[in-house]
Amino acid sequence: MSGLVQIVIGGLLQGGVFAIVALGFSLVYRVTNVVNLSQGAFCVLGAMGMYYFQLEFGWPILPAAIAAVAASAVFALVVGAVTFVPAVSRLPASSALVLTAGLLTFFVGVTLVVWGNQPYSLPPFSGEAPIVIGGLRLPTQGLWLAAIAAAMIAGLWLLLQRTTLGRALRACAENPVAARLMGIDLPRMMLLSFALAALIGAAGGVLVAPIMSLQFDSGQFFTISGFIAVAIGGMGSFAGSIVGGLLLGIAEQFAAFYVSSLFANTLALLLLLIVLILRPSGLFASGPARRSDVRDDARIHRPVVRLRGRAAIGFAVALVAVLALLPFLPLPGGLLASLVIALILFIAVLGLDVLMGYAGQVSLGHAGFMAVGGYAAAILATSYDWPPLAATLVALVLSVACALVLAAATRQLRGHYLALATLAFGLLIDSLAVGLFDLTGGPSGLVGIPAFTAAGLAFDTPLRMYYLALALAVVLVVMLEGGMRMGFGRALKAVRSDQLAAAALGVNVGRVKVVALCISAALASLSGSLYAFNFHFLSPEIVSTSRSFEMIAMLVLGGEGTLIGGFFGSLVLTLLPTLVQDFAVFKTAVEGAILVVIFLAMPEGLFGRLAIWLEHSALRMPRLRTGVAP
Amino acid sequence: MTNALECRAVSKSFAGVRAVEDVSFAVRDGSLCALIGPNGAGKTTLFNMATNLFPPSSGDVLFFGRSAAGRSPHQIAADGVIRTFQTARVFPGMTTLENVLAGAHLHVRAGPLSQMLWARTAREEERRLTAKADALLEMVGLRDARDRATADLPIGAQKLVEVVRALMAGPKLLLLDEPAAGLNDRETAELAALLRAICDAGTTILVVEHNMTLVMGVADQVFVLDAGRLIASGSPEAIQDDRAVIEAYLGREQGPEQRPMS
Repeated sequence: MSGLVQIVIGGLLQGGVFAIVALGFSLVYRVTNVVNLSQGAFCVLGAMGMYYFQLEFGWPILPAAIAAVAASAVFALVVGAVTFVPAVSRLPASSALVLTAGLLTFFVGVTLVVWGNQPYSLPPFSGEAPIVIGGLRLPTQGLWLAAIAAAMIAGLWLLLQRTTLGRALRACAENPVAARLMGIDLPRMMLLSFALAALIGAAGGVLVAPIMSLQFDSGQFFTISGFIAVAIGGMGSFAGSIVGGLLLGIAEQFAAFYVSSLFANTLALLLLLIVLILRPSGLFASGPARRSDVRDDARIHRPVVRLRGRAAIGFAVALVAVLALLPFLPLPGGLLASLVIALILFIAVLGLDVLMGYAGQVSLGHAGFMAVGGYAAAILATSYDWPPLAATLVALVLSVACALVLAAATRQLRGHYLALATLAFGLLIDSLAVGLFDLTGGPSGLVGIPAFTAAGLAFDTPLRMYYLALALAVVLVVMLEGGMRMGFGRALKAVRSDQLAAAALGVNVGRVKVVALCISAALASLSGSLYAFNFHFLSPEIVSTSRSFEMIAMLVLGGEGTLIGGFFGSLVLTLLPTLVQDFAVFKTAVEGAILVVIFLAMPEGLFGRLAIWLEHSALRMPRLRTGVAP
Repeated sequence: MTNALECRAVSKSFAGVRAVEDVSFAVRDGSLCALIGPNGAGKTTLFNMATNLFPPSSGDVLFFGRSAAGRSPHQIAADGVIRTFQTARVFPGMTTLENVLAGAHLHVRAGPLSQMLWARTAREEERRLTAKADALLEMVGLRDARDRATADLPIGAQKLVEVVRALMAGPKLLLLDEPAAGLNDRETAELAALLRAICDAGTTILVVEHNMTLVMGVADQVFVLDAGRLIASGSPEAIQDDRAVIEAYLGREQGPEQRPMS
């Protein structure tokens, strides 16, 4: 009995932090209608500040805590003002969501640069000795956490219900256009909610640092747990956030105790999927209905730039020729191997482009399909001695089956929830890869995967893999170009632009999305299989959520909706760490920054920029001019 | 004579507000009909119900004798009923040609796979549809806008693109929601001629309109909606003299409230 209570206490402690992060999610969502995926990173920023003020500078606890939280809030004000608020005002909601994923990656990367990959822990506020009541051990830090969390919740409630500022925030939540007409400065309210949520998160981080050891990627953990909590409780509902957080904490503690700590995450995600399927809007109704329709209309559409006609063919031929001749040049050591990786990842990014760039559906868990493809093919080839080609094809079928199951399970979900369900899927696959130890080798990975063979050829050198990947990439680009320029591609673009208008023209919106998801899952799976056969090794880290975000960064950097653009994104992000050795530690931060900056400053991407430039050069030649504006 | 569209005692309430109440009317196959009424009369609500964006609270909508109940918008489109929207809903990321070609979605026979394999049937179909789209754009004088982003065109041109896109679907019944809103007099006259030509070529049209010149000029039959109820129907001439209609638009004589004709 007391063991049970002890687990519940542990669960409430952990759940308290999840609830604080979930509260931040809800606050920002209420005001901006965007799920801010960078929320969890502020916990780590707060804890990192506390570490420096308290341990490095030797400040007493209270001033150190205040300074850490204040510094995080000021930092959030600056970051929010230059990235989040412009993004929410200018970009479609799906792009704003991806931008916050970029912010999260950036924060994680910055923490990696500052802290390295060592875990950190802080001393508890009032000593290590727990209070013992009737045989139950109650860590004093837990009392601090509970008390301050309760105070923050009460303070937030008072602010929202009893002050003019709170009324303005709530007005923005219910009808942003009308709020604006009433003279409320909407961007300022958005910034305020962002900074306030960051402040709450930083305080949570300061409180929890003595209980949990934190490291550079803990921000991702907090975001994911907080997100699961808020999705269970109901996005936008404050009561739901708290209940969801506590429930999740208790569930994870029980899972860790009775099953295995390796599976704690898996069970939490299953809990989330069950709640999402049974009650798509969470356990608690999420506040008043929101007029999001009015706001979306005002948003500018992402420009899509493609090369047309002869320019496209000329460019493609030149590019393929250069890539085919590249291995004959005296390349620096290891460059060819990096090019192989860039091409293999490009195949997955290509699929992501069909889904995101053309059909407009955000997938935050695309590495999950890579994992299914990679692990299934590798396990069949190693444990069952299947020929790699057959293993790859079976893995591909399995990935498409996963995509169909995911589509069926999330059929009721709309908008953000769909993107977030893909995030949950990626995490679920990730946690299975860690947890199914006997099958996958667990966290340390699967070794001894053979080289790829097909038609009697063994692709066992970087050169052979290079030509295999290049040939596959060319064939896939040509095929997808056909699909995208004809009726199927138009249906995808119509769905991306305006689902209602698309349906009115007879487009079966649901089916078109499922087909796009299946195509992208198949390509990600193929990429994952090739990756495993190329490296002879596969670990959960290679196909984790960080990889999903990295692939989005590659796509956005190269240019969405261009097919070939993803190649340039993949090339840049794969080669940079190889070419600049010292760069490796900055890689994550730079990827995040690229995602954010490209979204805001160059939404057409590298290839889009190139295409615009080529188009303008073509326009200067009058004979190519197609028509004059009426 | 069959009816292209028939509403049988259709009603719709939104949280207690009766937007449409017990409306029955029929659009004969091959005719050009107009649905008019003051602001807030329930015209667009009726339209959205017909295309099943939301179901009626009671009553039934039939297209060519078949009930629309339980059919999703894309199925209704596949039955040959194509609608446009009050605010031109062109696809902003696409060129005008692509927008119009998107209208041909129901006529694309080649599947995604044969398109990806650049099959000859797929390419020939694409060429045929492009030729048809070009002919339609030529007909309405939008040839020059072919390769421009539709979102960059003036609103009148965008509304025309939406009509052409709907035509590309080869509808049996065309439902147009305020196609003349935002058009000047010359453009309205051109639109009226276009609608007449489309109807004469065999497509039934129901147009929801504020613009009286458009309605009175071309409609075979006019239905008048006021405060959710059908108050009159008949030829344009008969409607113009109808007392109930005049009251709905101009208010009762010596009445305290004046409703301006829009």
